[in-house]
Amino acid sequence: MTVKAINDKKNTSVNVRKKEKKLRTKSSHLGLILFVLPAFVFYFIFLFIPMIGAGVYSFTDWNGLNPTYNFVGFANYIEAFRDDPAFRHSFFFTLRYTIVVFFVQNIIALFLALLIESRIKSKGFFRTIFFMPNMISLIISAFMFSFIFTNVFPELSQKAVFSFLDQSWIGDPKVSFYSIVIVSLWQGIGYMMIIYMAALQGVPKSLSEAAMIDGATIFQRLRHVTIPMIMHAITICSFLTLNGAFKVFDVVYALTQGGPGTSTQVMTLNIYQEAFSNNFRFGYANSKAMILFLVVLIITIIQIRVLKRKEVEA
Amino acid sequence: MKQSKAASWSVNLILSLFAVVSFFPIYMSVINSFKTQAEIFDSVLALPKNFSFDNYIGVFQELNLLSSAFNTLIVTIVGLAGIVFCGSLAGYKLARTSGKFSNFLFMLFVASMLVPFHSIMITLSQMAKGVGAQGSLIGLGFIYIGLGVNMAVFLYHGFVKAIPKELEEAAKIDGCNDFQIFTKIIFPLLKPITATILVLNVLWLWNDFLLPLIMLTDVNDYTLMLSINMLFGQYAADWPKILAALVLTALPVVVFYAFFQKYILEGIADGAIK
Repeated sequence: MTVKAINDKKNTSVNVRKKEKKLRTKSSHLGLILFVLPAFVFYFIFLFIPMIGAGVYSFTDWNGLNPTYNFVGFANYIEAFRDDPAFRHSFFFTLRYTIVVFFVQNIIALFLALLIESRIKSKGFFRTIFFMPNMISLIISAFMFSFIFTNVFPELSQKAVFSFLDQSWIGDPKVSFYSIVIVSLWQGIGYMMIIYMAALQGVPKSLSEAAMIDGATIFQRLRHVTIPMIMHAITICSFLTLNGAFKVFDVVYALTQGGPGTSTQVMTLNIYQEAFSNNFRFGYANSKAMILFLVVLIITIIQIRVLKRKEVEA
Repeated sequence: MKQSKAASWSVNLILSLFAVVSFFPIYMSVINSFKTQAEIFDSVLALPKNFSFDNYIGVFQELNLLSSAFNTLIVTIVGLAGIVFCGSLAGYKLARTSGKFSNFLFMLFVASMLVPFHSIMITLSQMAKGVGAQGSLIGLGFIYIGLGVNMAVFLYHGFVKAIPKELEEAAKIDGCNDFQIFTKIIFPLLKPITATILVLNVLWLWNDFLLPLIMLTDVNDYTLMLSINMLFGQYAADWPKILAALVLTALPVVVFYAFFQKYILEGIADGAIK
């Protein structure tokens, strides 16, 4: 065998190895694509393209029917902020709703979780009762409550103890704000409570007991031991309640339809009506949809920043 | 932890009060669904004079609830099956592949979890018209796959990361191909997270209102929530019948809850922590 032949052999073996490696990365790319493709196709058609589309159309005067449309710059956004009192009202209405629901829902859920976790025998019973409303859809809940508001409360209010229930729960927008809040809380608290209970089970008993021996009161223990230990659950529940509350739709749709007039209209309902009740201003409706997206995005970023910092400190 | 008896009783009292308030609307709906309209006019708080099922029978015959329930079932099954199938395949492979391309795809899925449904519903309805998914139950199920698969990919991805690779390597040596490894070895291991994903999605699909409202045009295709929405048009202020219909539609979910409570509560807690 000559030196050349040996070199040739070496070369081919190196080449083969190179080719093999290339083939392997190619096949792993192919594998990746094959496995991800089904998910990606659905995601791309029904989420990705609509998202991009909403962004693009929000800068146009498209009416949803014509194939042609013009780009109008920020005109839609300016109109939504400046010349659309109903939309502006819906924004502040939703904001107020979000703030109230965020605080009350988390406080009551955490409170109930703390109380239930201290029970031994009746724990399962109370958990079942408080979570049950969450299984019932918001639409059904809202219709059930419209019976409560229009029939049960008026009768209850005839008894002196419950006279405060004598309100126009659905007709008066000032009151129906609270009606909407009540239904949302009734349906939503159980879910947050479950998350808080799971987090509380992860807090070692010894910590709390040690604090008690050191003479800490129940509130000190809560403030300095329990709350820091369940900070991750507070982050998650805050995220869920804030996001969910800003996207509220079903309850309002079923309870007041946004009325009287547009006085209890939330952002999603305003967008829905702009888009689907034959105004044919799809471009404009999309700009409102994008505003909702931006608001949710900003809230999420702020909230994660604030709570992550707290989590690290704790 | 020791507690004084008085403290313990006051905790019980507070919890019981909350429980009464929480259960009251359900109780009211149920007892009034057995009354006649005259009885409701008399008093909504009193118990019905006799528990007659006339309202339920009437509602059941007039509303076609069975067919609505069947429609909802089709949508839910298509959606759930698709979310689990597509999500597990993608989540597994993305977790096992490193590199920019894989990371990019994963980030694309995760970032989209922040997009509110209401921001894309307008363009989504146009898209659904374009691909023929509008007005079709299967099509509606497909849309749920598109909207729900991102979270499934995220959860499967996190779960697969914690599974050691040795099993797959051994299977590879034994001559299994990628797909066989997935179906025979990986997917069975994913059972706990699959249960979580099913729990988190089943109630969303079954109870969702707005997407079917936008997508379904034919009354015969209506899901339960859409049929419920038409009650007031049909029964005006006939509350006993409306309540009977509400109780009937809520019943399957409550029964489901009774059977699967443990899994549901675990699923919610696990899904939230991840």
